[in-house]
Amino acid sequence: MISMKLNISKKYFWSLCTILFAACTGDFEEINTNRNSPTSTQPNLILPGVQRDMMNALVDETWSIGNTVIQHTAKNQFVNEDRYLWGERNTIWNAVYDNMRDVNNILLQAEEDNLPNYKGVALILKSWMFSLVTDAYGDVPYSEALNGKEGVFFPKYDTQESIYDGILSDLEEANGLLNGAFNISGDLIYQGEVENWRKLANSLRIRYLMRISDRRDVSAALSTIVNNPDQYPIFTSNDDHAVYTFLAESPDQFPLFTYRIGSFNEFRASKTLTDRLKTTNDPRLFIFVRPTPATEATPSTTDDKYEGIPNGMADVEALTYNGGPEFQSRVGPLYFEQANTPLGLQVAKGVIMTYAELQFLLAEAAQKSLISGDAETYYLNAINASFDFYGLVPEASYLTQAEVAYTGSQDELLEKIGTQKWISLFFQGMEAWFEWRRTGYPVLTPAVDNQNNDMIPARFIYPIIEQSLNADNRAAAVARQGEDDLNSRVWWDVNPN
Amino acid sequence: MKRTCLGASLAKRIVAFGAMLFLSLNLYAQISVSGKVTSGSDGTPLPGVNILVKGTTSGTITDAEGNYTVDVPTGDGVLIFSFVGYVTQEVPIAGKTTLDVALPADATELSEVVVTALGIEREKRDLGYAVQEINGDDITQARETNIGNALAGKVAGVTVVGNPSGIGGSSRITIRGERSLNINKNQPLFIVDGVPITNETFGSSGRSNQDVDYGNGAGFVNPDDVESMTVLKGASATALYGSRGQNGVIIIKTKSGKGSQGNVSFNTSVTFEDPLRLPDYQNVYGQGLNGEFEFLDGNGGGVRDGVDESWGPKMDGQLIKQFDSPTTNGYRGGDVGNLNTIIGPVDYAAQLAQRGEIIATPFLAYPDNIRDFFETGMTFSQNVAVTGGNESGDVRASYTLLDQTGMVPNTDLKRHNFALSAGYKLTPKLSFRATANYVKNLSKNRPSLSYGTENIMYLFNCWFPRSLNINSFRNYWQAGREDLNQFNFNYNYHDNPYFNVYENTNGQEIDRLFGNMSATYQFNDFLMLMARVGTDYSDEFRDRRRAYSTQRYPLGSYREEQIFLQETNADFLLSFNKDLNSDFSISASVGGNAMRRRYNLSDISAPQLTVPGIYSFNNSRVALQYFSFNSEKRINSLYAFTQFGFKNYLFLELTARNDWSSTLPGNNWSYFYPSASVSLVLSDLFDIESTPMSFAKVRAGFAAVGNDTDPYQLLSTYTAQNPAQGLPSYSESSVIQNANLKPEQSRSLEVGLDVRFLENRIGLDLTYYRTRSENQILNVPLTITSGYSARVINAGLIENKGIEVMLNLIPVQTQAFEWSMNINFSRNRSTVLELYKDAESGQEIRNYVMASRELTVEARVGERMGDMYGIGYQRVSSDPNSQYYDPSGQYVGEIIYNAQGKPLPTATTVKLGNYNPDWLAGIYNTFTFKGLSLGFLFDVRQGGEVYSQTQTVGREGGIIAETLEGRANGYDLSLPGNGVIGPGVVAITDGGGNITGFTPNTTKLSAREWHSSITLGRRLKEPMVYDASFVKLREVKFGYTLPGSVTRGLPFRNISIALVGRNLMLWADVPHIDPETASSAGGTIIPGVESVAIPSARSYGFNVSFNL
Repeated sequence: MISMKLNISKKYFWSLCTILFAACTGDFEEINTNRNSPTSTQPNLILPGVQRDMMNALVDETWSIGNTVIQHTAKNQFVNEDRYLWGERNTIWNAVYDNMRDVNNILLQAEEDNLPNYKGVALILKSWMFSLVTDAYGDVPYSEALNGKEGVFFPKYDTQESIYDGILSDLEEANGLLNGAFNISGDLIYQGEVENWRKLANSLRIRYLMRISDRRDVSAALSTIVNNPDQYPIFTSNDDHAVYTFLAESPDQFPLFTYRIGSFNEFRASKTLTDRLKTTNDPRLFIFVRPTPATEATPSTTDDKYEGIPNGMADVEALTYNGGPEFQSRVGPLYFEQANTPLGLQVAKGVIMTYAELQFLLAEAAQKSLISGDAETYYLNAINASFDFYGLVPEASYLTQAEVAYTGSQDELLEKIGTQKWISLFFQGMEAWFEWRRTGYPVLTPAVDNQNNDMIPARFIYPIIEQSLNADNRAAAVARQGEDDLNSRVWWDVNPN
Repeated sequence: MKRTCLGASLAKRIVAFGAMLFLSLNLYAQISVSGKVTSGSDGTPLPGVNILVKGTTSGTITDAEGNYTVDVPTGDGVLIFSFVGYVTQEVPIAGKTTLDVALPADATELSEVVVTALGIEREKRDLGYAVQEINGDDITQARETNIGNALAGKVAGVTVVGNPSGIGGSSRITIRGERSLNINKNQPLFIVDGVPITNETFGSSGRSNQDVDYGNGAGFVNPDDVESMTVLKGASATALYGSRGQNGVIIIKTKSGKGSQGNVSFNTSVTFEDPLRLPDYQNVYGQGLNGEFEFLDGNGGGVRDGVDESWGPKMDGQLIKQFDSPTTNGYRGGDVGNLNTIIGPVDYAAQLAQRGEIIATPFLAYPDNIRDFFETGMTFSQNVAVTGGNESGDVRASYTLLDQTGMVPNTDLKRHNFALSAGYKLTPKLSFRATANYVKNLSKNRPSLSYGTENIMYLFNCWFPRSLNINSFRNYWQAGREDLNQFNFNYNYHDNPYFNVYENTNGQEIDRLFGNMSATYQFNDFLMLMARVGTDYSDEFRDRRRAYSTQRYPLGSYREEQIFLQETNADFLLSFNKDLNSDFSISASVGGNAMRRRYNLSDISAPQLTVPGIYSFNNSRVALQYFSFNSEKRINSLYAFTQFGFKNYLFLELTARNDWSSTLPGNNWSYFYPSASVSLVLSDLFDIESTPMSFAKVRAGFAAVGNDTDPYQLLSTYTAQNPAQGLPSYSESSVIQNANLKPEQSRSLEVGLDVRFLENRIGLDLTYYRTRSENQILNVPLTITSGYSARVINAGLIENKGIEVMLNLIPVQTQAFEWSMNINFSRNRSTVLELYKDAESGQEIRNYVMASRELTVEARVGERMGDMYGIGYQRVSSDPNSQYYDPSGQYVGEIIYNAQGKPLPTATTVKLGNYNPDWLAGIYNTFTFKGLSLGFLFDVRQGGEVYSQTQTVGREGGIIAETLEGRANGYDLSLPGNGVIGPGVVAITDGGGNITGFTPNTTKLSAREWHSSITLGRRLKEPMVYDASFVKLREVKFGYTLPGSVTRGLPFRNISIALVGRNLMLWADVPHIDPETASSAGGTIIPGVESVAIPSARSYGFNVSFNL
């Protein structure tokens, strides 16, 4: 009897279901359609955000670690980073992979809609972004990266060598795809000028060929580019450089503009930089660095003193060095409170690559006979271009003094190129750090009271979260590359320094 | 000044209160019957006996002496006297005006009615699952602003964590452990009068440094309007609520006018709050570094005056120039003008010259400088309720004003609750009922939270130097620079705390309406149909103001959020209920529910302001930033349940429910789940009433519950970003959506035993349960190298096992005195049995990061839910394969230091602890003596861990007591007592760099260096993880009900007065903080992580209630 009742009620239940609700799910699909956001979009709507986000991340990381490790700046408070107590540094990693999703979407969309110029630009961005991440960390996910939607949730870490193969071939492909007759939009670097992108593709190829030049014979590849400017155009002046210009107005301002003043002031000019610039009477000093607060505060400029502090002192020593912060120069105002002035906008930029850097690379290549051409010409071009970037012209006496003049042994010449390049890379600390690791120039002394066994760090450790999210592949990379610490060298880094 | 304001507002409240008094009118003038009700067995008076005038809904209850007075329409009616454990008596009035009644005891019957799923009232003895009820009176006297917190310690199996956020913050409630890997989805469903209300925390994600706890939805229910709260813990109890009930259900029944004959009741409660616990600070060294300090501009221009830490000179009264010292020009030292050059061009020298030379003042310790910042919070609550009823209808109207001022200055909360409940019997068969609650919730400022300058505790727990006089901060603008430049001790990193709370406000205004209307048609004595429509509507406005010169917003900012939420439920229930014969009874019901939920969010901000102090989008200097999101969701449901009774000792209940959810794909949007439970009353079956055991019951239940997800989880989209340099910008969502989602499944089993002895003076209720939840719909984090941060999948198998014990004792019971004890104990273990294995690729997920703040909360296969991971100390190992193996075994377990005397970190993260307790217990004692009663609740938490950011950073800042270690004689390392040698060893290595042994560490670090090295600059989390066990004196109530003899002749009746206190005492091993804490990040409450929390409050006050 009970079970009969149950059967009856069950039967009623299901008939009721059918009657009442069969129709009620009719609009469910429509209800569950997201009306807030589109499911597809155009490359020109994706591009600006990628460029903006990458540049903000790069400037932030340049300020907080790159400039310091390369001894453009030094810290007088919260000195851990300056003593190589780094922990994990995830800004570059996260920015590159997060934005690569959208670069990848540009590539897919451009392929589908047959838009070779967007594809070329995306390949250049991809190459540049992957070089940042591999130069900073070593082996990283590349060939299997960004395939989450295809079900690859644990991308393997590729060797740096194979990543560079990919970077170089992508840049070559980009050079072939880009056609200046059809400009693009949504581009905050070159305002859509595709011919400039093409120059960037080849200039970057020179950078990355040089990067691996201690591992590979890159002479032929370099010569092909340098000797065929029609087929492989490169930067020919500062007008061609690849920079991102910030705006005077929030929220597109130079990222440092919104820092707490204390967070800006805890970075001071590095003694390594100020000493070098003062010895050679380099006028770029007055752009990079301001007078010590004590001398800056007086109306007179004749008493102005420019004093850097040594990198990596313990906190008490750093804060009391030279009598205290009043006697320690801060970084120039164009990188902070004057970043929104016309001059600030010209100087405080996000940089992919400058013309000066290209010329320094060519000088080195020529000096090492990787290409034909006059190393000194390249070297002088580079110095002039660097001065020009800041609206300056070097005095003849500057160029002829012993520390600068292009004279000396092979090693001395390479050191001069490296040192001048290091100066020209002010506030491009990440690139300066990569190149210092490769060339060993300029010769740097590790931070005074460093906590890394007297070694300047040679890489970032992998983000800790990778131990949870991609443990096996990370472990394989560590087994191949060496311990996941600051001192394991990446593949291209073979010179002792 | 402040006092007068307080006085004035108090006066206003008294006037309002008086006005309410005059509302009282003698509503009815009828015949009055009075008398005394006593126990038939021993003649003691029975308080709380229900008296009903037969055929009407009016009646009363007896007072503490068993006396009653009831008005009856005529002298020939009948009064019904009923009381738990006694036989109900019907007594004819027969024209008498005095009726004394002795109720015969009924030891065999235990008629205890509880509210169950869908609001159906059932006898507890019939139920095959555990329910626990809290009486409304238990939460009105010692009240909490958030009603959820009132459950703490009172219900077995319920864990409550109140988010320490100043006022009326959220409370995180979990029942029987955590089932979901989504840390936000472990909270129970709240039902008010049969209709769900939302309890989520909305909005406030996105822009950083603006974490505020705006409270969660259930906190809006007014304790005065609550008749009872019932906690349905297991799936058997909640199966009828379907998906949403899988984490348990809290059913709130509001008061109605039933059984009342015209009554006006008042309840006034005033409580005061102060910080339960503040860190233990050192009071020897003041601001500065290395013993040096002299203020010039608070920006590094003086001697270490850019430093915000307390490693400075001894605070022995020596004369030092300070930020609050006078200057030769009559200014304060800190009136330095505009140093933050972003606000405008400055001429430092001229500004400083105008201020003048600082005249040094004594450098002194201010041991209470932080305590003195906090004010005594005050919560004033006033309720007036009017009830009335007769045989055909009843009504209750109630108004409550909650007026709270926080311990943090300039924080407040004002809440008006209007509640109306009315029922009317239109015909003998058709009746209607409607309830409506309107809540107006206003706050001009809720405190900012989390680690950062926006939170005052960032300053107070980490940095605020010991040499600062808090009173010097009260005048928080620089002289002559009002609205432009704040006045502060440090212009490098910090905001003046008074400036912070008075200028940078987080306002909130909510209009919320929830309620329902229902009609019931009684076809005959066994068939009934109920139809109901209910809604929960809320419209919330939040504004955040940031003044010029705020560290994070030098040019100010203004932001508005508008949150609209509406959920409507329409349901029906057809019920059949019949005793088939003397042995069999049957009840069966079918019902259905249609749910619709809409959510709209708009979030607009002006990142910079043109004119200081004007908070309007019209005043934005730059383009506005905006975000908006709208969503909709529907669930249709059908359900049926049936119960069979045999001889009133065996009960079987079956339920079935099917849901159709719009959030799932078409092939999976329909899902079904059943439950079954059985209850067997052994004491009736075996007729054991003559033994000491007065009652015994066993019960068992099984249930399956399904669940859906949020809207729009099926398809990936591109999200609009803030325009880049004016160009529109889109980015693909970083979450991989899933078009093949399946509903979640959770299956649970529970068995229980309920026994009572010695005429119910000892009652023991035991429950064992096991729940397995699988196919959870999760945003599983991915390595960002996959291009995506997460993907939505069905994954996971989480098992919860636990026991709950409730023990009720009446150790002493005499005519005048009674001591009763309620003890509850619960232990739960949540284990991660599986996460995910991809069928095709074989790829496996072995750990799942549930939340990340300072450390990570991860679910790993085979481990417990709530495990926390982070970098730990590298220690000497006993494992021969370890790089740090010690063959001698002498140093195994010791911390290893490097040559510089700093601890080595582990290369990978290690398990640091678990935020879930091993067990919880609540012990409630009540003593009653005539009209007096004393109750106190101890809340015990054993086990679990908490991470303390206060300990981490407070050490760097040199303010907490531990930082005296290593500077007994100042900072000169050559003096004894100075410097610290880390306890542990250093490795001895051979030429090849291999470790051959260990030797004790002998490297001495300066105090400053030691206290930041202990965490390697916040990298090592292990040393800052503490045992979170505690005992709290959660609640104390000391009450007195005036005897009827006193109030007779007065216009007042049932006068009770109670002194109340909550969270009065804390016993815990963790230093500085209350271990019962959480941090909040973008709307997620993360337990186990203390991130410079606002101190929890100790509250004490009184409560007065009476009727007219």
